[in-house]
Amino acid sequence: MTMKSPLIALALAVFAAASAGAAPDPWAGLPAAQRPALGTPALVGVWAMPKRITALRTLDGKAPPLLPAALALYRKNAAALKADPNSDPVAKCWMHGVPRLLYAPYPVLIAQEKDRINFVHEVNHTFRIISLKQPMPKDVADLDPLWLGYSAGHWAGKTLVIDSTGFNDRSWLDYSGLPHSEKLSVRETYRLVGPNTIEGRVTITDPLTFSKPWTTGFTLVRKPGYELKESVCSRDRKM
Amino acid sequence: MRRSKSLKYACIAALAVAGLASAAAAQDLSIIERLTAEDKADPKSFEPTPPPSDPRDFTGVWHVSRFPKTQGDTARQPEPVFTAMGAAEVKRLVDSEAGGRVVADAGTQCLPHGMPRLVFSPYPIRFTYMPGKIVMLHEVNHNVRIVHMDRSAPPAGEPLSFLGYSVGRWEGNTLVVVTTILNDQTRIEANVPRGPKLKVTERWTKAKNIFGATDLAVTVTTEDPDFLAQPWTRRLYFAYRSDLEKNLRSDGVVEYSCEENNRNAPGADHIVTAK
Repeated sequence: MTMKSPLIALALAVFAAASAGAAPDPWAGLPAAQRPALGTPALVGVWAMPKRITALRTLDGKAPPLLPAALALYRKNAAALKADPNSDPVAKCWMHGVPRLLYAPYPVLIAQEKDRINFVHEVNHTFRIISLKQPMPKDVADLDPLWLGYSAGHWAGKTLVIDSTGFNDRSWLDYSGLPHSEKLSVRETYRLVGPNTIEGRVTITDPLTFSKPWTTGFTLVRKPGYELKESVCSRDRKM
Repeated sequence: MRRSKSLKYACIAALAVAGLASAAAAQDLSIIERLTAEDKADPKSFEPTPPPSDPRDFTGVWHVSRFPKTQGDTARQPEPVFTAMGAAEVKRLVDSEAGGRVVADAGTQCLPHGMPRLVFSPYPIRFTYMPGKIVMLHEVNHNVRIVHMDRSAPPAGEPLSFLGYSVGRWEGNTLVVVTTILNDQTRIEANVPRGPKLKVTERWTKAKNIFGATDLAVTVTTEDPDFLAQPWTRRLYFAYRSDLEKNLRSDGVVEYSCEENNRNAPGADHIVTAK
């Protein structure tokens, strides 16, 4: 059979998918101009980590390659945290930073568009808007350092890649007090390994803190039908 | 911060959030009027690229228009009409402030601003859509509103919250959002108090202004039988600001960390002493 136009081919393909009992349209409710291209993995929805990760390790289970001064700072942070949980930056309702935000024990909502991925974390209603169109600012080193940094994302095949840099040095990388400097850059990757599972990787580069880049990971599992609750740190912590 | 145009909004907003100016209802309008006079010379800066053509597609960054009168709607915003109970509470707030003791509202304490206060806070809003929901990401104190398009009423047992529970529907090309189940820790405006039966109805729609640019117009009706003698309806216009996506380097919505440096933090008695 010859197709008269790509449009007819597309219509037939969509019809075939629908009549074959394919999964419901992941982009239902999205305006046509915002729909991701056909075949884009659907990360849209609400997700959570099935198990709590409080101290980041490399993928093969080793301690992060801290430089001596950073190791001393890590031990100091950990000791302070043990003595007083309020020594944790997030106990002051400061933002979690990246990648710590991903490891906060709260669900995350992902709203996905053609040119953008929006992460809305339940914890203290913290969001990240990641453009898939705007490149990383060239002058990022001159911009004000931020808790959540400056980010640029792109699709590498079926994997979502997000690069972030321009962080302040006041957040911790995890819940155990792992420090970082303003030279931190983070690459996150998100890959759908099943309809309800995302396999994530986080590569951390910070020449003032670590002797080499290192990679850790996470798993996200879909929470169908879950609606984000209002989480308000400055009420709960009585700042 | 490298954000010349928006810095002045930030300064003005700090005042608005702190609630240090009196006559809150008139306050937002006076801000808009001042900006209109100042910025009239540069009308084109408000629609650097056209917004999506689909009348129901609000995706993008919108910021309070500096040209509210370009919609031909030149009447002043109506003032709220209070019940006796409402008037007494307004007097308490105003008298306390006149005595140098501002009774802090939610935003001053880094809490979510509440409704409808959040809509009138002069910071950018990004709209995004997903199945069954429309999400509004507000720059100010990273407030997030989720409008449930897949429900006709809040679920049973939904707890009270600062931003309440929002249910949305389309009437033609107008997005109608009804918000209820709001807690009692917020105000309608800085010195406009509220009771437990507050209900806020927003009607969002695209509208052309006299320059031919497409604004996002919202009509906000606030009903509070305890504090307002009649529903209070105000109208506000947002301009499409795709330019912010490039200029502000965070896709148009800048990181806002209230808790990091809250210079107007109130004491345990919720009082901010004028500094």
